[in-house]
Amino acid sequence: MRPAAALAGLGVALAGSALLGVLAGAVAVGPGDVVAALAGGADAPTTAIIRELRLPRVIAAALVGGALGVAGALLQGLLRNPLADPYVTGTSAGAALGSVASVAAGAPALVTPLAAFAGALASVAVIWRLARIGGRTTVLTVLLAGIVISSFAGAVVTLLIVASDRLALRLRAVLDILVGGVTSRSAAELAVAIAIVAGATVWALALARRLDAYAFGEETAATLGVDTDRTTASVLVVTALLTGAAVALSGLVSFVGLVIPHALRPVVGARHAVLVPACLLGGATALVLADLGARIALAPAELPVGVITGLVGAPFFLLVLARASRGVR
Amino acid sequence: MRALFVAFAVLLSAACGPAPASIPAATPSASPSPAVVTDFQGRTVQLPRSVSRIVSIGASNTEFLFALGAGDRVVGVDDFSDEPPAALQKEKVGGVKVNLEKVTSLRPDLVVTIKFSDGTVERLAAGGAVVLVVDPQGLGDVARSATLIGQAVGADGKKLADDITKRLQAVRERSSAIAAKPRVFHEVDATDPAKPFTVGPGSFVHDLIELAGGVNVAARAGSPYPQLSAEELVRADPEVIVLADADYGVTPEQVASRPGWSGMAAVRSGRIHPISANLASRPGPRVGEAAEAYAKLLHPTVFR
Repeated sequence: MRPAAALAGLGVALAGSALLGVLAGAVAVGPGDVVAALAGGADAPTTAIIRELRLPRVIAAALVGGALGVAGALLQGLLRNPLADPYVTGTSAGAALGSVASVAAGAPALVTPLAAFAGALASVAVIWRLARIGGRTTVLTVLLAGIVISSFAGAVVTLLIVASDRLALRLRAVLDILVGGVTSRSAAELAVAIAIVAGATVWALALARRLDAYAFGEETAATLGVDTDRTTASVLVVTALLTGAAVALSGLVSFVGLVIPHALRPVVGARHAVLVPACLLGGATALVLADLGARIALAPAELPVGVITGLVGAPFFLLVLARASRGVR
Repeated sequence: MRALFVAFAVLLSAACGPAPASIPAATPSASPSPAVVTDFQGRTVQLPRSVSRIVSIGASNTEFLFALGAGDRVVGVDDFSDEPPAALQKEKVGGVKVNLEKVTSLRPDLVVTIKFSDGTVERLAAGGAVVLVVDPQGLGDVARSATLIGQAVGADGKKLADDITKRLQAVRERSSAIAAKPRVFHEVDATDPAKPFTVGPGSFVHDLIELAGGVNVAARAGSPYPQLSAEELVRADPEVIVLADADYGVTPEQVASRPGWSGMAAVRSGRIHPISANLASRPGPRVGEAAEAYAKLLHPTVFR
């Protein structure tokens, strides 16, 4: 498929899923009223439900999914590893640790994305160092390092929960971070996330050509004239920015970063200049739909969206692992 | 997980309030003959002839014991028992998890405890002490709790029960004369303001709201501590919001600034009131006081 056509199709899919996301919710609102509320012509409660509760939630889901999709594409490209994604590599766990720590310290809400970014950057740097030992990255090293980092971050989070009185009073917030859920965010929080995701995606696009050269190994990339140290560092920072923004909004949402690049690479090809925007749109669509599923599966109760992505993503992960183990890339 | 959390939240909120005055203690009566009673878990319990060392697990149970004049015989309480202040001086036997070794070391001849789903009650009983499960949930359970605990410690629980019932009845009579019943949202926890925890049928606060002359917006919820979506809440449009989480730092200003909440009648008219979590989270001997406090919030011109 031609990249332009694929991207246009993904854009339409995102718009459609966002529309579904705004139409469905805890309270039944007719399609006409939804349109009226969006246009500002509905009664006050309906307007509040659609514009202040449902729309921000759909936007948050789209941001989280898009950020994780792009982060997954970058990590898979950088590590030349089909199983890399922010969740599996422990990058999300590092970001969650940062978020929990900032909540524990009583930092204002807008500091959380920064703390999440710091945690994500630390973990992804460790992964990258480990992956380079011996000059080649193996699937196993990355996965094991991810498990270790996730366990470590989990242990510190538990320690914080038990040790900090302040945190104990905010148990729900911590639970939300660990379990992964999208919620209605304030306009300010969304604005910060939009700025981070947009900036990081533009940066990722600027790195796309250089990242393409990594497909044959870092040395080859270097011989092709790529400044690999700077490029690698940039990719790590962009990945951490995206993961941090996603985790600060929704906690630990698993496997989106793994599944989306995999699903889209056969369609749009491996060139990052196309893969990155495709993953942004595809990840956003996937998480908006997953969140919709989370809201209606057990209505009126809501599932955390992480449950849906885990249910879909884990079998997919095993499938990719089986193929990777057989040497089929 | 969610049910566990609610238990947590309720226990936590129970643990963190200021300390209002308590009901005067009833006079203990002469030691009655040993009796066999059925407790809140349906267990048949042979009460001891005399009780001199009591361990109390559950903030409401501790309040009952002190209100019945058995406070000086209490040798240990759980971490959430903060009322009356004298309870804070007692040995602690744990919170969400009861420390069985600690309980045993206090050599109680009676353990009054709330329900546990993890086998704590059975393990306590295996330890040799007489274990009486008293776990009031609704307002209707309060009189039975007072009577049962009174029987167990040889105090006049019936009189305490009657006093509480009379006090509740007085509020009910005054509020039932009021025609306008405001729609009430009682906030237990809104860490995620899109899905706040509230009270539903089966919880004593739900009973309190009705008794005080209000209509609970979560009256059709299927559980005592349900989560309500903010969408449903906006549609229900509460006229009064009562913050049982004010002790955690939630303020009316914060509530008004939450996404989507600004259009609610209670927010527009400024009828957002904090209530002491310590008073409004446990169905103990102070429920009469809680009912009066609630009625003042709902009908400030009638209840002064």
